[in-house]
Amino acid sequence: MACLFVGPALLGIGLVVVFPLGYSLWLSFTDVNLLRSTGPAVELWGMRIPLFRWVGGRNYTQVLADPLYWDSLWRTLFFVGAFVVEAALVGFGMALVLNERFPGRALMRSLLLVPWSLSRIVVGLLWIGILDFEFGALNGLLLRAGLVDGAIAFFKDGWSALNVLVSVYMWNQAPFATLLFLAGMQSISEDLYAAAEVDGAGYWRRLWYVTLPALRPIVFLVLVLATVNGFLMLDLIYVLTMGGPAYDTTTVSWHGFKTSFTFFKFGPGTAILYTLTALCLLLTVIYHKLVLAGFEPEG
Amino acid sequence: MTTRARYRGGNYRRRSAGSRVVLYATVTAVALWLVAPFVWLFVTSISYQKNLLARPFTLVPPEVTFDNYRMILGLVRFHAEGQAGKILASMWNSLVVAAVVTALNVVVGTTAGYAYARFRFPLKMLSLFALLFTRMLPTIVLIPAFFLVFRTLGLQNTLTGLVIAYCSFTLPFTVWIMKAYFETIPEDLDKSALVDGCNRFQAYCRVVLPVSGPGLVAGGAFTFMLCWNEFVVAQILNTKPGTTTLPPIIAGMNGQINIDYSVIAASGFLGALPAVLLVLVFQKYMVQGLTAGSVKG
Repeated sequence: MACLFVGPALLGIGLVVVFPLGYSLWLSFTDVNLLRSTGPAVELWGMRIPLFRWVGGRNYTQVLADPLYWDSLWRTLFFVGAFVVEAALVGFGMALVLNERFPGRALMRSLLLVPWSLSRIVVGLLWIGILDFEFGALNGLLLRAGLVDGAIAFFKDGWSALNVLVSVYMWNQAPFATLLFLAGMQSISEDLYAAAEVDGAGYWRRLWYVTLPALRPIVFLVLVLATVNGFLMLDLIYVLTMGGPAYDTTTVSWHGFKTSFTFFKFGPGTAILYTLTALCLLLTVIYHKLVLAGFEPEG
Repeated sequence: MTTRARYRGGNYRRRSAGSRVVLYATVTAVALWLVAPFVWLFVTSISYQKNLLARPFTLVPPEVTFDNYRMILGLVRFHAEGQAGKILASMWNSLVVAAVVTALNVVVGTTAGYAYARFRFPLKMLSLFALLFTRMLPTIVLIPAFFLVFRTLGLQNTLTGLVIAYCSFTLPFTVWIMKAYFETIPEDLDKSALVDGCNRFQAYCRVVLPVSGPGLVAGGAFTFMLCWNEFVVAQILNTKPGTTTLPPIIAGMNGQINIDYSVIAASGFLGALPAVLLVLVFQKYMVQGLTAGSVKG
Protein backbone atom coordinates (compact mmCIF):
# COMPACT_ATOMS: atom_id res chain seq x y z
CA MET A 1 0.00 0.00 0.00
CA ALA A 2 2.72 2.43 0.97
CA CYS A 3 4.42 1.67 -2.35
CA LEU A 4 1.43 3.01 -4.27
CA PHE A 5 1.59 6.25 -2.33
CA VAL A 6 5.34 6.86 -2.42
CA GLY A 7 6.04 5.05 -5.67
CA PRO A 8 5.27 7.80 -8.21
CA ALA A 9 7.21 10.45 -6.29
CA LEU A 10 10.23 8.23 -5.68
CA LEU A 11 10.20 7.06 -9.29
CA GLY A 12 10.04 10.68 -10.43
CA ILE A 13 12.84 11.73 -8.10
CA GLY A 14 14.87 8.75 -9.29
CA LEU A 15 14.45 9.83 -12.90
CA VAL A 16 14.99 13.56 -12.50
CA VAL A 17 17.45 13.64 -9.58
CA VAL A 18 19.25 10.36 -8.96
CA PHE A 19 19.85 9.46 -12.60
CA PRO A 20 21.18 12.92 -13.66
CA LEU A 21 23.23 13.06 -10.47
CA GLY A 22 24.87 9.73 -11.30
CA TYR A 23 25.34 10.64 -14.95
CA SER A 24 26.95 13.96 -14.00
CA LEU A 25 29.28 12.11 -11.65
CA TRP A 26 30.23 9.82 -14.54
CA LEU A 27 30.79 12.84 -16.80
CA SER A 28 33.19 14.32 -14.28
CA PHE A 29 35.48 11.30 -14.91
CA THR A 30 35.30 11.44 -18.70
CA ASP A 31 36.61 13.42 -21.60
CA VAL A 32 33.32 15.01 -22.73
CA ASN A 33 33.33 16.29 -26.27
CA LEU A 34 30.02 17.79 -27.27
CA LEU A 35 30.84 17.82 -30.97
CA ARG A 36 31.58 14.12 -31.26
CA SER A 37 28.48 12.00 -31.74
CA THR A 38 30.20 8.62 -32.09
CA GLY A 39 31.95 6.69 -29.34
CA PRO A 40 30.76 4.48 -26.51
CA ALA A 41 27.16 4.94 -25.49
CA VAL A 42 24.32 3.21 -23.68
CA GLU A 43 21.16 2.44 -25.58
CA LEU A 44 18.11 2.66 -23.32
CA TRP A 45 14.59 2.43 -24.74
CA GLY A 46 15.80 3.80 -28.03
CA MET A 47 17.59 6.62 -26.29
CA ARG A 48 21.31 6.92 -26.96
CA ILE A 49 23.18 8.24 -23.95
CA PRO A 50 26.80 9.02 -24.81
CA LEU A 51 29.36 7.78 -22.29
CA PHE A 52 32.52 9.44 -23.63
CA ARG A 53 36.02 8.28 -22.78
CA TRP A 54 36.94 7.47 -19.19
CA VAL A 55 39.91 9.52 -18.06
CA GLY A 56 39.98 8.65 -14.36
CA GLY A 57 40.65 11.50 -11.99
CA ARG A 58 42.25 13.70 -14.64
CA ASN A 59 39.48 16.33 -14.58
CA TYR A 60 39.76 16.62 -10.82
CA THR A 61 43.57 16.93 -10.79
CA GLN A 62 43.35 19.47 -13.59
CA VAL A 63 40.71 21.51 -11.76
CA LEU A 64 42.51 21.35 -8.42
CA ALA A 65 45.81 22.35 -10.05
CA ASP A 66 44.20 25.54 -11.35
CA PRO A 67 44.92 28.48 -9.03
CA LEU A 68 41.62 30.02 -10.18
CA TYR A 69 39.79 27.18 -8.42
CA TRP A 70 41.53 27.87 -5.12
CA ASP A 71 41.11 31.64 -5.47
CA SER A 72 37.41 31.19 -6.06
CA LEU A 73 37.19 28.74 -3.16
CA TRP A 74 38.66 31.26 -0.71
CA ARG A 75 36.40 33.93 -2.16
CA THR A 76 33.43 31.59 -1.74
CA LEU A 77 34.36 30.96 1.87
CA PHE A 78 34.45 34.70 2.53
CA PHE A 79 31.20 35.17 0.64
CA VAL A 80 29.45 32.39 2.54
CA GLY A 81 30.81 33.51 5.91
CA ALA A 82 29.80 37.12 5.39
CA PHE A 83 26.42 36.14 3.98
CA VAL A 84 25.61 33.76 6.82
CA VAL A 85 26.53 36.33 9.46
CA GLU A 86 24.62 39.15 7.77
CA ALA A 87 21.55 37.07 7.00
CA ALA A 88 21.39 35.61 10.51
CA LEU A 89 21.92 38.95 12.27
CA VAL A 90 19.54 40.96 10.10
CA GLY A 91 17.05 38.11 10.08
CA PHE A 92 17.17 37.92 13.86
CA GLY A 93 16.94 41.69 14.25
CA MET A 94 13.86 41.85 12.05
CA ALA A 95 12.32 38.95 13.98
CA LEU A 96 12.84 40.83 17.26
CA VAL A 97 11.09 43.88 15.84
CA LEU A 98 8.22 41.91 14.32
CA ASN A 99 7.73 39.96 17.53
CA GLU A 100 6.81 43.15 19.36
CA ARG A 101 3.20 44.23 19.50
CA PHE A 102 2.38 47.31 17.49
CA PRO A 103 -0.48 48.41 15.26
CA GLY A 104 0.13 47.21 11.69
CA ARG A 105 2.17 44.19 12.70
CA ALA A 106 0.17 41.89 10.39
CA LEU A 107 0.90 44.19 7.46
CA MET A 108 4.60 44.23 8.34
CA ARG A 109 4.68 40.46 8.36
CA SER A 110 3.27 40.45 4.84
CA LEU A 111 5.81 43.01 3.66
CA LEU A 112 8.50 40.72 5.02
CA LEU A 113 7.82 38.31 2.18
CA VAL A 114 8.26 40.84 -0.61
CA PRO A 115 12.07 40.64 -1.03
CA TRP A 116 11.95 36.89 -0.64
CA SER A 117 9.29 36.30 -3.30
CA LEU A 118 11.20 38.14 -6.04
CA SER A 119 13.20 36.34 -8.69
CA ARG A 120 16.91 36.89 -8.06
CA ILE A 121 17.09 38.38 -11.55
CA VAL A 122 14.63 41.06 -10.46
CA VAL A 123 16.46 41.45 -7.13
CA GLY A 124 19.67 42.17 -9.03
CA LEU A 125 17.86 44.47 -11.40
CA LEU A 126 16.26 46.60 -8.72
CA TRP A 127 19.53 46.97 -6.84
CA ILE A 128 21.16 48.16 -10.06
CA GLY A 129 18.50 50.88 -10.04
CA ILE A 130 19.72 51.88 -6.58
CA LEU A 131 23.48 51.39 -6.87
CA ASP A 132 24.22 52.27 -10.49
CA PHE A 133 27.00 54.80 -11.09
CA GLU A 134 24.94 56.95 -13.46
CA PHE A 135 21.27 56.65 -12.50
CA GLY A 136 21.38 54.88 -9.13
CA ALA A 137 19.02 56.29 -6.50
CA LEU A 138 21.51 55.87 -3.65
CA ASN A 139 24.18 57.79 -5.52
CA GLY A 140 21.60 60.43 -6.35
CA LEU A 141 20.56 60.80 -2.71
CA LEU A 142 24.14 60.89 -1.41
CA LEU A 143 25.16 63.49 -3.99
CA ARG A 144 22.15 65.62 -3.26
CA ALA A 145 22.76 65.49 0.48
CA GLY A 146 26.34 66.50 -0.24
CA LEU A 147 27.72 63.43 1.51
CA VAL A 148 29.94 62.44 -1.41
CA ASP A 149 31.81 64.50 -4.00
CA GLY A 150 31.22 62.13 -6.90
CA ALA A 151 29.06 59.07 -7.55
CA ILE A 152 30.35 55.83 -6.01
CA ALA A 153 31.18 53.04 -8.46
CA PHE A 154 30.01 50.10 -6.35
CA PHE A 155 30.90 47.46 -8.93
CA LYS A 156 34.20 48.84 -10.21
CA ASP A 157 36.33 47.59 -7.36
CA GLY A 158 36.37 43.82 -6.79
CA TRP A 159 36.22 43.95 -2.99
CA SER A 160 33.31 46.36 -2.96
CA ALA A 161 31.49 44.35 -5.67
CA LEU A 162 31.84 41.17 -3.62
CA ASN A 163 30.46 42.85 -0.52
CA VAL A 164 27.59 44.38 -2.46
CA LEU A 165 26.74 40.87 -3.69
CA VAL A 166 26.70 39.63 -0.09
CA SER A 167 24.37 42.39 1.04
CA VAL A 168 22.01 42.16 -1.92
CA TYR A 169 21.71 38.41 -1.45
CA MET A 170 21.14 39.03 2.26
CA TRP A 171 18.31 41.47 1.42
CA ASN A 172 16.66 38.67 -0.54
CA GLN A 173 17.26 35.86 1.97
CA ALA A 174 17.17 37.38 5.47
CA PRO A 175 13.33 37.48 5.52
CA PHE A 176 13.28 33.71 5.39
CA ALA A 177 15.52 33.53 8.45
CA THR A 178 13.12 35.98 10.10
CA LEU A 179 10.19 33.64 9.39
CA LEU A 180 11.99 30.76 11.06
CA PHE A 181 13.05 32.88 14.06
CA LEU A 182 9.52 34.25 14.46
CA ALA A 183 8.05 30.75 14.41
CA GLY A 184 10.53 29.79 17.10
CA MET A 185 9.84 32.87 19.22
CA GLN A 186 6.12 32.22 19.11
CA SER A 187 6.51 28.76 20.55
CA ILE A 188 8.41 29.98 23.61
CA SER A 189 6.17 29.74 26.63
CA GLU A 190 4.98 33.10 27.92
CA ASP A 191 5.34 31.88 31.49
CA LEU A 192 9.10 32.03 31.04
CA TYR A 193 8.90 35.73 30.18
CA ALA A 194 6.46 36.37 33.00
CA ALA A 195 8.78 34.66 35.46
CA ALA A 196 11.78 36.58 34.15
CA GLU A 197 9.91 39.84 34.42
CA VAL A 198 8.86 39.09 37.98
CA ASP A 199 12.53 38.43 38.74
CA GLY A 200 13.27 41.91 37.48
CA ALA A 201 14.88 40.99 34.16
CA GLY A 202 14.74 43.83 31.62
CA TYR A 203 14.33 43.50 27.86
CA TRP A 204 17.97 42.62 27.07
CA ARG A 205 18.35 40.17 29.93
CA ARG A 206 15.14 38.39 28.87
CA LEU A 207 16.50 38.25 25.32
CA TRP A 208 19.78 36.78 26.50
CA TYR A 209 18.51 34.33 29.11
CA VAL A 210 15.11 33.30 27.75
CA THR A 211 14.80 33.93 24.01
CA LEU A 212 18.26 32.99 22.77
CA PRO A 213 18.64 29.66 24.60
CA ALA A 214 15.18 28.57 23.42
CA LEU A 215 16.02 29.50 19.85
CA ARG A 216 19.27 27.55 19.68
CA PRO A 217 17.99 24.81 17.36
CA ILE A 218 16.51 27.43 15.01
CA VAL A 219 19.77 29.36 14.98
CA PHE A 220 21.59 26.23 13.82
CA LEU A 221 18.93 25.58 11.21
CA VAL A 222 19.22 29.11 9.84
CA LEU A 223 23.01 28.84 9.74
CA VAL A 224 23.00 25.54 7.84
CA LEU A 225 20.39 26.67 5.30
CA ALA A 226 22.15 30.00 4.76
CA THR A 227 25.47 28.22 4.27
CA VAL A 228 24.05 26.00 1.54
CA ASN A 229 22.30 28.90 -0.15
CA GLY A 230 25.51 30.91 0.00
CA PHE A 231 27.53 28.17 -1.69
CA LEU A 232 24.98 27.75 -4.48
CA MET A 233 24.28 31.37 -5.38
CA LEU A 234 24.64 31.99 -9.11
CA ASP A 235 21.85 34.14 -10.51
CA LEU A 236 22.77 37.36 -8.70
CA ILE A 237 26.35 37.10 -9.95
CA TYR A 238 24.93 36.71 -13.44
CA VAL A 239 22.93 39.96 -13.27
CA LEU A 240 25.25 42.06 -11.15
CA THR A 241 28.89 41.23 -11.83
CA MET A 242 29.34 38.26 -14.20
CA GLY A 243 32.14 37.15 -11.89
CA GLY A 244 34.09 40.35 -12.46
CA PRO A 245 35.80 42.80 -12.35
CA ALA A 246 38.55 40.39 -13.50
CA TYR A 247 37.80 37.31 -11.35
CA ASP A 248 37.06 39.27 -8.19
CA THR A 249 33.52 37.94 -7.69
CA THR A 250 34.07 34.48 -9.16
CA THR A 251 32.86 31.91 -6.65
CA VAL A 252 33.18 28.14 -7.01
CA SER A 253 29.64 27.78 -8.32
CA TRP A 254 30.19 30.59 -10.85
CA HIS A 255 33.52 29.02 -11.86
CA GLY A 256 31.77 25.67 -12.41
CA PHE A 257 28.92 27.35 -14.28
CA LYS A 258 31.31 29.20 -16.60
CA THR A 259 33.48 26.15 -17.24
CA SER A 260 30.46 24.00 -18.02
CA PHE A 261 28.18 26.31 -19.93
CA THR A 262 30.26 29.15 -21.32
CA PHE A 263 33.27 27.08 -22.39
CA PHE A 264 31.24 23.84 -22.61
CA LYS A 265 33.96 21.85 -20.86
CA PHE A 266 31.59 19.44 -19.14
CA GLY A 267 34.35 17.20 -17.77
CA PRO A 268 36.17 19.77 -15.63
CA GLY A 269 32.91 21.69 -15.16
CA THR A 270 31.08 18.80 -13.52
CA ALA A 271 34.23 18.05 -11.50
CA ILE A 272 34.12 21.59 -10.05
CA LEU A 273 30.40 21.31 -9.37
CA TYR A 274 30.91 17.93 -7.74
CA THR A 275 33.32 19.36 -5.20
CA LEU A 276 30.43 21.65 -4.21
CA THR A 277 28.02 18.72 -4.09
CA ALA A 278 30.32 16.87 -1.71
CA LEU A 279 30.27 19.88 0.57
CA CYS A 280 26.48 19.97 0.47
CA LEU A 281 26.33 16.29 1.38
CA LEU A 282 28.35 17.05 4.46
CA LEU A 283 25.99 19.89 5.37
CA THR A 284 23.00 17.60 4.80
CA VAL A 285 24.34 15.22 7.41
CA ILE A 286 24.43 18.08 9.90
CA TYR A 287 21.01 19.31 8.81
CA HIS A 288 19.57 15.81 9.09
CA LYS A 289 20.81 15.55 12.68
CA LEU A 290 19.16 18.89 13.43
CA VAL A 291 15.84 17.87 11.95
CA LEU A 292 15.92 14.58 13.81
CA ALA A 293 16.79 16.38 17.03
CA GLY A 294 13.51 18.24 16.46
CA PHE A 295 13.99 21.95 16.10
CA GLU A 296 10.83 22.75 18.01
CA PRO A 297 12.11 24.66 21.00
CA GLU A 298 11.08 23.21 24.32
CA GLY A 299 8.22 25.24 25.70
CA MET B 1 -4.59 34.75 26.77
CA THR B 2 -4.71 38.55 26.70
CA THR B 3 -3.41 39.00 30.20
CA ARG B 4 -0.57 36.56 29.65
CA ALA B 5 0.26 37.59 26.12
CA ARG B 6 1.49 41.01 27.12
CA TYR B 7 4.64 39.57 28.63
CA ARG B 8 5.96 38.60 25.24
CA GLY B 9 7.83 41.75 24.45
CA GLY B 10 5.38 43.84 26.46
CA ASN B 11 2.13 45.54 25.54
CA TYR B 12 2.53 48.59 23.36
CA ARG B 13 -0.03 50.56 25.32
CA ARG B 14 2.01 50.09 28.47
CA ARG B 15 5.26 51.20 26.88
CA SER B 16 6.98 54.38 27.94
CA ALA B 17 7.00 57.18 25.39
CA GLY B 18 10.73 56.73 24.81
CA SER B 19 10.55 53.03 24.03
CA ARG B 20 7.56 53.65 21.79
CA VAL B 21 9.59 56.13 19.74
CA VAL B 22 12.44 53.62 19.43
CA LEU B 23 10.01 50.88 18.41
CA TYR B 24 8.25 52.94 15.75
CA ALA B 25 11.55 54.21 14.38
CA THR B 26 12.85 50.64 14.01
CA VAL B 27 9.59 49.44 12.49
CA THR B 28 9.72 52.24 9.94
CA ALA B 29 13.33 51.47 9.13
CA VAL B 30 12.55 47.76 8.64
CA ALA B 31 9.52 48.57 6.46
CA LEU B 32 11.60 50.90 4.29
CA TRP B 33 14.37 48.34 3.99
CA LEU B 34 11.90 45.67 2.90
CA VAL B 35 9.78 47.52 0.37
CA ALA B 36 11.54 50.74 -0.67
CA PRO B 37 13.77 48.97 -3.24
CA PHE B 38 10.75 47.29 -4.82
CA VAL B 39 8.76 50.54 -4.80
CA TRP B 40 11.73 52.27 -6.41
CA LEU B 41 11.68 49.63 -9.16
CA PHE B 42 8.09 50.65 -9.85
CA VAL B 43 8.98 54.36 -9.78
CA THR B 44 11.78 53.86 -12.31
CA SER B 45 9.44 51.82 -14.49
CA ILE B 46 7.05 54.78 -14.82
CA SER B 47 9.84 57.32 -15.36
CA TYR B 48 11.76 58.47 -18.39
CA GLN B 49 15.40 57.43 -18.42
CA LYS B 50 16.44 61.06 -18.84
CA ASN B 51 14.78 61.94 -15.54
CA LEU B 52 16.54 59.07 -13.78
CA LEU B 53 19.86 60.38 -15.06
CA ALA B 54 19.06 63.98 -14.12
CA ARG B 55 21.03 65.48 -11.25
CA PRO B 56 20.14 66.83 -8.70
CA PHE B 57 18.25 63.67 -8.03
CA THR B 58 14.54 63.66 -7.12
CA LEU B 59 12.68 60.84 -5.38
CA VAL B 60 9.38 61.88 -6.96
CA PRO B 61 9.63 61.65 -10.74
CA PRO B 62 8.87 64.99 -12.45
CA GLU B 63 6.99 63.19 -15.24
CA VAL B 64 5.02 59.96 -15.09
CA THR B 65 4.77 57.78 -18.17
CA PHE B 66 3.46 54.36 -19.08
CA ASP B 67 5.53 54.31 -22.28
CA ASN B 68 7.88 51.67 -20.85
CA TYR B 69 4.96 49.33 -20.28
CA ARG B 70 3.53 50.16 -23.70
CA MET B 71 6.89 49.25 -25.25
CA ILE B 72 7.22 45.88 -23.59
CA LEU B 73 3.59 45.03 -24.29
CA GLY B 74 4.20 45.79 -27.96
CA LEU B 75 1.80 48.75 -28.11
CA VAL B 76 4.36 51.28 -29.37
CA ARG B 77 7.35 50.78 -31.60
CA PHE B 78 10.83 51.58 -30.33
CA HIS B 79 14.44 50.88 -31.21
CA ALA B 80 14.95 47.69 -29.16
CA GLU B 81 11.60 46.20 -30.00
CA GLY B 82 13.02 42.75 -30.71
CA GLN B 83 14.12 42.29 -27.11
CA ALA B 84 11.15 43.78 -25.37
CA GLY B 85 8.73 42.03 -27.73
CA LYS B 86 9.75 38.71 -26.18
CA ILE B 87 8.39 39.61 -22.77
CA LEU B 88 4.79 38.53 -23.22
CA ALA B 89 5.66 35.28 -25.00
CA SER B 90 8.18 34.36 -22.32
CA MET B 91 5.69 35.22 -19.57
CA TRP B 92 3.30 32.77 -21.16
CA ASN B 93 6.06 30.12 -21.21
CA SER B 94 6.79 30.81 -17.54
CA LEU B 95 3.12 30.46 -16.70
CA VAL B 96 2.74 27.16 -18.56
CA VAL B 97 5.86 25.63 -17.03
CA ALA B 98 5.07 26.82 -13.51
CA ALA B 99 1.44 25.66 -13.72
CA VAL B 100 2.29 22.19 -15.04
CA VAL B 101 5.07 21.65 -12.52
CA THR B 102 2.80 22.82 -9.70
CA ALA B 103 0.03 20.45 -10.77
CA LEU B 104 2.44 17.50 -11.00
CA ASN B 105 3.91 18.36 -7.62
CA VAL B 106 0.60 18.71 -5.88
CA VAL B 107 -0.65 15.36 -7.14
CA VAL B 108 2.50 13.25 -6.84
CA GLY B 109 4.30 15.03 -4.00
CA THR B 110 1.27 15.26 -1.75
CA THR B 111 0.54 11.56 -2.00
CA ALA B 112 4.13 10.73 -1.09
CA GLY B 113 4.08 13.27 1.73
CA TYR B 114 1.03 11.51 3.14
CA ALA B 115 2.79 8.15 3.04
CA TYR B 116 5.81 9.55 4.86
CA ALA B 117 3.58 11.02 7.53
CA ARG B 118 1.48 7.89 8.09
CA PHE B 119 3.10 4.65 6.95
CA ARG B 120 6.06 2.59 8.00
CA PHE B 121 7.80 1.03 5.06
CA PRO B 122 11.21 -0.40 4.23
CA LEU B 123 13.93 2.15 3.47
CA LYS B 124 11.79 4.97 4.85
CA MET B 125 14.59 6.59 6.82
CA LEU B 126 17.08 6.17 3.99
CA SER B 127 14.75 7.69 1.40
CA LEU B 128 13.93 10.55 3.78
CA PHE B 129 17.63 11.30 4.10
CA ALA B 130 17.92 11.14 0.31
CA LEU B 131 15.04 13.62 0.06
CA LEU B 132 16.78 16.00 2.43
CA PHE B 133 19.98 15.69 0.45
CA THR B 134 18.17 16.43 -2.83
CA ARG B 135 16.86 19.59 -1.25
CA MET B 136 20.37 20.71 -0.37
CA LEU B 137 21.77 19.65 -3.72
CA PRO B 138 23.09 22.25 -6.16
CA THR B 139 20.62 21.90 -9.04
CA ILE B 140 23.33 23.17 -11.36
CA VAL B 141 25.25 19.90 -10.99
CA LEU B 142 22.36 18.06 -12.68
CA ILE B 143 22.24 20.34 -15.69
CA PRO B 144 25.11 18.84 -17.74
CA ALA B 145 23.30 15.50 -17.52
CA PHE B 146 19.95 17.04 -18.51
CA PHE B 147 21.71 18.88 -21.33
CA LEU B 148 23.14 15.71 -22.89
CA VAL B 149 20.08 13.52 -22.33
CA PHE B 150 17.68 16.19 -23.60
CA ARG B 151 19.86 16.59 -26.68
CA THR B 152 19.43 12.96 -27.63
CA LEU B 153 15.71 13.07 -26.80
CA GLY B 154 15.07 16.33 -28.61
CA LEU B 155 13.86 17.98 -25.40
CA GLN B 156 16.30 20.88 -25.55
CA ASN B 157 14.47 24.16 -26.13
CA THR B 158 11.12 22.64 -25.18
CA LEU B 159 8.84 23.46 -22.28
CA THR B 160 8.53 19.72 -21.55
CA GLY B 161 12.27 19.63 -20.89
CA LEU B 162 11.98 22.53 -18.46
CA VAL B 163 9.08 20.87 -16.66
CA ILE B 164 11.16 17.70 -16.18
CA ALA B 165 14.20 19.64 -15.01
CA TYR B 166 12.14 21.77 -12.60
CA CYS B 167 10.67 18.70 -10.93
CA SER B 168 14.19 17.85 -9.79
CA PHE B 169 14.25 20.69 -7.30
CA THR B 170 10.53 21.13 -6.58
CA LEU B 171 9.38 17.55 -5.97
CA PRO B 172 11.59 16.90 -2.92
CA PHE B 173 10.38 20.21 -1.44
CA THR B 174 6.75 19.38 -1.95
CA VAL B 175 7.09 15.93 -0.42
CA TRP B 176 8.81 17.49 2.59
CA ILE B 177 6.32 20.33 3.08
CA MET B 178 3.35 17.99 2.72
CA LYS B 179 4.86 15.42 5.08
CA ALA B 180 5.22 18.15 7.71
CA TYR B 181 1.67 19.33 7.05
CA PHE B 182 0.04 15.90 7.30
CA GLU B 183 1.85 15.32 10.57
CA THR B 184 -0.20 18.19 12.01
CA ILE B 185 -3.49 16.48 11.08
CA PRO B 186 -4.61 14.07 13.80
CA GLU B 187 -4.25 10.46 12.78
CA ASP B 188 -7.60 9.64 14.41
CA LEU B 189 -9.25 11.25 11.41
CA ASP B 190 -7.85 8.59 9.07
CA LYS B 191 -8.49 5.87 11.61
CA SER B 192 -12.17 6.68 11.96
CA ALA B 193 -12.49 6.74 8.18
CA LEU B 194 -10.85 3.31 8.05
CA VAL B 195 -13.20 2.01 10.72
CA ASP B 196 -16.14 3.35 8.72
CA GLY B 197 -15.14 1.07 5.89
CA CYS B 198 -12.95 3.26 3.71
CA ASN B 199 -9.76 1.80 2.33
CA ARG B 200 -6.53 3.80 2.72
CA PHE B 201 -6.89 5.50 -0.61
CA GLN B 202 -10.49 6.52 0.03
CA ALA B 203 -9.57 7.76 3.49
CA TYR B 204 -6.83 9.88 1.92
CA CYS B 205 -8.94 11.27 -0.93
CA ARG B 206 -12.26 11.78 0.80
CA VAL B 207 -11.30 12.56 4.39
CA VAL B 208 -7.75 13.81 4.66
CA LEU B 209 -7.38 15.83 1.45
CA PRO B 210 -10.54 17.90 1.96
CA VAL B 211 -9.16 19.22 5.25
CA SER B 212 -5.67 19.78 3.84
CA GLY B 213 -6.43 22.94 1.88
CA PRO B 214 -3.88 25.14 3.71
CA GLY B 215 -1.10 22.59 3.19
CA LEU B 216 -1.91 22.14 -0.48
CA VAL B 217 -2.00 25.90 -0.97
CA ALA B 218 1.35 26.30 0.78
CA GLY B 219 3.01 23.57 -1.25
CA GLY B 220 1.45 24.67 -4.52
CA ALA B 221 2.14 28.38 -4.11
CA PHE B 222 5.73 27.70 -3.09
CA THR B 223 6.33 25.43 -6.09
CA PHE B 224 4.78 27.97 -8.43
CA MET B 225 6.95 30.73 -7.01
CA LEU B 226 10.15 28.69 -7.37
CA CYS B 227 9.38 27.85 -11.01
CA TRP B 228 8.24 31.34 -11.94
CA ASN B 229 11.46 32.82 -10.56
CA GLU B 230 13.91 30.18 -11.76
CA PHE B 231 16.72 31.49 -13.96
CA VAL B 232 19.80 29.30 -14.32
CA VAL B 233 18.20 26.12 -15.66
CA ALA B 234 16.05 27.94 -18.22
CA GLN B 235 19.01 30.05 -19.30
CA ILE B 236 21.10 26.96 -20.05
CA LEU B 237 18.58 24.50 -21.44
CA ASN B 238 16.32 26.76 -23.49
CA THR B 239 18.42 29.10 -25.59
CA LYS B 240 16.37 29.24 -28.80
CA PRO B 241 14.28 32.40 -29.16
CA GLY B 242 10.72 31.91 -28.04
CA THR B 243 11.37 28.82 -25.95
CA THR B 244 12.61 30.32 -22.74
CA THR B 245 10.94 31.79 -19.66
CA LEU B 246 10.83 35.34 -18.35
CA PRO B 247 13.92 35.58 -16.06
CA PRO B 248 16.45 34.77 -18.84
CA ILE B 249 14.78 37.34 -21.10
CA ILE B 250 15.03 40.04 -18.43
CA ALA B 251 18.64 39.10 -17.69
CA GLY B 252 19.33 39.27 -21.43
CA MET B 253 17.83 42.76 -21.71
CA ASN B 254 19.94 43.82 -18.76
CA GLY B 255 23.04 42.70 -20.66
CA GLN B 256 22.18 44.84 -23.70
CA ILE B 257 23.44 48.38 -23.93
CA ASN B 258 20.80 49.84 -26.21
CA ILE B 259 17.86 49.38 -23.83
CA ASP B 260 16.98 52.00 -21.23
CA TYR B 261 17.00 50.86 -17.63
CA SER B 262 13.45 52.17 -17.23
CA VAL B 263 12.22 49.69 -19.85
CA ILE B 264 14.01 46.79 -18.14
CA ALA B 265 12.58 47.96 -14.82
CA ALA B 266 9.08 47.82 -16.32
CA SER B 267 9.56 44.23 -17.45
CA GLY B 268 11.13 43.33 -14.10
CA PHE B 269 8.20 44.82 -12.20
CA LEU B 270 5.63 43.17 -14.44
CA GLY B 271 7.44 39.84 -14.10
CA ALA B 272 7.75 40.10 -10.34
CA LEU B 273 4.12 41.03 -9.76
CA PRO B 274 2.52 37.57 -10.14
CA ALA B 275 4.85 35.93 -7.63
CA VAL B 276 4.64 38.82 -5.16
CA LEU B 277 0.83 38.87 -5.32
CA LEU B 278 0.65 35.10 -4.99
CA VAL B 279 2.83 35.16 -1.90
CA LEU B 280 0.98 38.09 -0.35
CA VAL B 281 -2.41 36.46 -0.92
CA PHE B 282 -1.37 33.07 0.46
CA GLN B 283 1.20 34.31 2.97
CA LYS B 284 -0.56 32.90 6.00
CA TYR B 285 -0.58 29.36 4.65
CA MET B 286 2.87 29.65 3.14
CA VAL B 287 4.42 30.81 6.38
CA GLN B 288 2.80 27.90 8.23
CA GLY B 289 3.81 25.37 5.63
CA LEU B 290 7.36 26.63 5.22
CA THR B 291 8.16 26.95 8.88
CA ALA B 292 6.73 23.51 9.56
CA GLY B 293 8.78 22.03 6.74
CA SER B 294 11.65 24.47 7.38
CA VAL B 295 12.77 24.42 3.79
CA LYS B 296 15.64 26.01 1.96
CA GLY B 297 14.10 29.29 0.77
